[in-house]
Amino acid sequence: MNAVLQAKGLCKTYIVNKRQNNVLKNVDLTVDEGEMLAIMGPSGSGKSTLLYCVSGMDRATSGNVVFNGRDTTKLRERELARLRLEEMGFIFQQMYMMKNLSVLDNIILPAVKSKKNKESRRQTEERGRALMHRLGIADVGGNDINEVSGGQLQRACICRSMINSPKMIFADEPTGALNRASSDEVMNELLSLNRDGTTVMCVTHDPKVAAKCSRVLYLVDGGIVGEKDMGHYEEGGRTLRDRERELNNWLMEQGW
Amino acid sequence: MFWRILKKDLKRKRTMNIILLLFIILCSMFASSSLNNIAAVTGGLDRYFDLAGVPDIMITINGESDTEEKLREMPSVKEIKKENLLSLPSSKNFTYKGKKLENFINPAALLADDEVAVRCFDKDNILIEDVPGGCFYSTRPFVQNIDISEGDYVDVNVGDTSVKLKYMGIFKDAVLYTDNASLPWLLIDRSDYERLSKEQETHDLDTTKLYLKTDDPDSVRELAAGHDNVYITERSEFKQIYLYDMFAAYIMMAVSIILMITAFVVLRFTIGFTISEEFREIGVMKAVGVSNISIRSLYIVKYLAIAVIGAAAGFFASIPLSSMMLDTVSKNIVLSGSSGTMTGLLSTAGVVIAIMLFCFLCTRSVNKLSPIDAVRNGQTGERFRKKSLLHLGRSKLPATGFLSVNDVTSAPKRFSIITVVFTLCLLMMTLMSMFALTLQSENLRRLFLIPASEAHIMDADMMMDYLGDNDTEEKLTELEKTLSDNGMPGKCTITLTKNFDVNHGDKKLKCLCAVTSGHTDEILRVDEGSAPRRDDEIAVTESTMKELGVGIGDRISFEYGGREQEFIITGRFSAFITSGIYLNKNYRPENESFGGCMGIQVHFDGSPDKETIGKNIEKLKDILDTTKIYTTSEYVKTMTDMSDVLTAIKHMMMILTVIVTGMIVILMERSFISKEKSEIALMKAMGISSGSIIGQHTLRFVIVALAACAAGFALQMPVGNLLMNMVCRFIGDVEGIVCDVDIFEVFVVCPLILIGVTAIGAFLTALYTRTISAADAASIE
Repeated sequence: MNAVLQAKGLCKTYIVNKRQNNVLKNVDLTVDEGEMLAIMGPSGSGKSTLLYCVSGMDRATSGNVVFNGRDTTKLRERELARLRLEEMGFIFQQMYMMKNLSVLDNIILPAVKSKKNKESRRQTEERGRALMHRLGIADVGGNDINEVSGGQLQRACICRSMINSPKMIFADEPTGALNRASSDEVMNELLSLNRDGTTVMCVTHDPKVAAKCSRVLYLVDGGIVGEKDMGHYEEGGRTLRDRERELNNWLMEQGW
Repeated sequence: MFWRILKKDLKRKRTMNIILLLFIILCSMFASSSLNNIAAVTGGLDRYFDLAGVPDIMITINGESDTEEKLREMPSVKEIKKENLLSLPSSKNFTYKGKKLENFINPAALLADDEVAVRCFDKDNILIEDVPGGCFYSTRPFVQNIDISEGDYVDVNVGDTSVKLKYMGIFKDAVLYTDNASLPWLLIDRSDYERLSKEQETHDLDTTKLYLKTDDPDSVRELAAGHDNVYITERSEFKQIYLYDMFAAYIMMAVSIILMITAFVVLRFTIGFTISEEFREIGVMKAVGVSNISIRSLYIVKYLAIAVIGAAAGFFASIPLSSMMLDTVSKNIVLSGSSGTMTGLLSTAGVVIAIMLFCFLCTRSVNKLSPIDAVRNGQTGERFRKKSLLHLGRSKLPATGFLSVNDVTSAPKRFSIITVVFTLCLLMMTLMSMFALTLQSENLRRLFLIPASEAHIMDADMMMDYLGDNDTEEKLTELEKTLSDNGMPGKCTITLTKNFDVNHGDKKLKCLCAVTSGHTDEILRVDEGSAPRRDDEIAVTESTMKELGVGIGDRISFEYGGREQEFIITGRFSAFITSGIYLNKNYRPENESFGGCMGIQVHFDGSPDKETIGKNIEKLKDILDTTKIYTTSEYVKTMTDMSDVLTAIKHMMMILTVIVTGMIVILMERSFISKEKSEIALMKAMGISSGSIIGQHTLRFVIVALAACAAGFALQMPVGNLLMNMVCRFIGDVEGIVCDVDIFEVFVVCPLILIGVTAIGAFLTALYTRTISAADAASIE
């Protein structure tokens, strides 16, 4: 398998009140194409920071990140922005959206901004609608963002992250603000995307969510202390319950 | 706990609190200076007269008279001050930089510093108590059109005497007519005065002025009426000479009011905006059971603290601003800021009260909202109104342009307020441009009661000839022959003026009567009725009608041509005079001499173009050996003497607009960035570049500026005409003035200034969005 993302010696240090806080300590990480990776760990272990540093949303203090063959630590801000726009997708715990745009307009905005996209505005809109249809929210496209439920909004965020057919989707606690039913729906969508070839890296606290991923990394105090290969979901005949049990046992061993 | 929350709030929301503080300073500064200006202008003339010690009556005696002795014997006369004037017949008696002066029309008068009856002030409004030997101050007519600086020397040559005097600057004397068209006055030291007075020529006019304090003006009037060479001017009449100065002052007052409205609109918006930022905290406090009163008091106390600090700073900043604004309009008047401190403090208190009122009104919603409503109205982005009107998918606009337009249409109230403020800023510039141009416009000619003409002879000697004699028509015919002989045929007219005591029943009114002599087909333009066409017909101004209680068709009478004559009122006319009457053309009895005129007008045959008119005027100057011949626009400009002042105000307004607009844009954009931090971070996380975000933020202010320009274009003519007519009514009975427009300045320069300042201000402030990183999307509250 080709590695889509490689991080080496990644460090991130914050200075708070003249005190040095090393959030990431020499993290090495490789994510293969088509993988669905979960990052787990206790609060404050540096999971989200790792996600932001490898995705180019934040700059690491040291170390380098190669995404799709390009060293993102050496890219200028503008190039990094373009990379995020055209080759990456993001999903956050909070369903952040532009307040003054409808749900559909929020979804197609990255495509409209992308120089790679040669479609007409109408074609882009159609594509946005098709994505919404696929995620079961076709009927809320014209709605304002306050007119839809949290689950629908998060699925809209997934649509937005997919609109430019990214190589990889970065999800920071994508189900953290959702109830169980909505959480399952969102995870099923991510699984479906992954099945279609999109690499997914997902930070989560929830073993149920992580159990659907193919690999789980466990972070403590800014360093990866454990790694578990779970195999692709629905492969090997194991039920979700089995995967969850297996993962929980492993997590217990890690000190979860 | 209350104080701890307050302290934390002040610290945490430092940016918004600083922005609010700056707006309060701005508002307080404008409110204080505006109110100070309004207070200075309203009743400013009376205060100036009191400050200068203007007497109840001024008596001018030309030649020998026993009036002074008689006045001293009158018990009702409490005090008499006397000024003996020297006069120099022509501007040519003065040499500056080796050249004889040619810049003023009338003879110059010289006054000794120890004989001044009315207190004089220098250009900085400081009382002149003593003029050093070898120095002089002058009124403005003396220095008009010459590039003289303080410290320069002027030679005064009369007879065999030549005195070198150092120019100390202009002086303001409340009773001396300081208009460009009036007598130039020089205030000199006694020793210089004595040297010049040895020359007989300086006594040719032999003028003495007596300044009286009396409680029986009637007997003084009676005394003066018995002498041909004694003229009486009462305190109320002095006010007439400041009409044009007050015009500029009232314009400044109007501008101040617009500034104040702008400041309060901006302040109301900012307070509403900052309080909407607090909704989430309000929701949380309500949720934990803090009472509505406690929540509101928290914000009211916070705003009170900011308001007091801001208003105090604004008060101090208003002092130089007010002084700068008043200086522009008070070239002839001491518009004292003596009451400024009190007015400023009152307006500062007013600003604090207004802020508290705004705050009280804005926090009213605390009572109505449930905790969850408040939280949802806060920064989570949830709200209950559909905002998006446009659709990205259906729009042809580029994404950045679409987002800008969408932002504006999604927050119509917010951007409408900014549009209103920008429109007011634009109007301040364009109205000043229109007013300055109008006051030198040929369209105002009719308000000086002169018929159609292209050249205006303002030579004092020539005018005096026409005033005194009764052969005006012959002289005009002679002048026309001269014109014709020199290849520029035309018709000449002169409009003569004189004050008459007009009667209607038991009512009496002193009216300025005008009559046009000469050859013109033009008849007076009346606003109502018809122009007089017979010798017993007359047109009157609105004030005359009101004061005498007459209307069209009524009869009035006054002594004209040595006998009491009755006239029937046929129409009402507009003019830059208040109590005015206009006689039938050429109705001038042989034995009636007039005291003033509006110059001699020449109307060239064949409607020559501007270039030909210019050439004709130059030729006429040579023929008549005078430099005092003006085009109509120069004539109007000289007569109103306000165009330059308004141009100065216009320039000041342009600078002020740049500052106000710039500050509003910077502060608004900064507060928008603060409010939209989450969206900016999200856009960056999605991969939208900083440049695109900066473009979006800049563009939406440019859209607002464009909307303001459109609104300004639509409003400027109606508002300009309304204000111009309103302000002109302070000067005379006028209506129907249509402002002139410099299309390039009003439709290109001023809008470009507004749009340019807005774009630059928004762009520079939007650069701050670069400090927000994509990773901030994760830490949004």
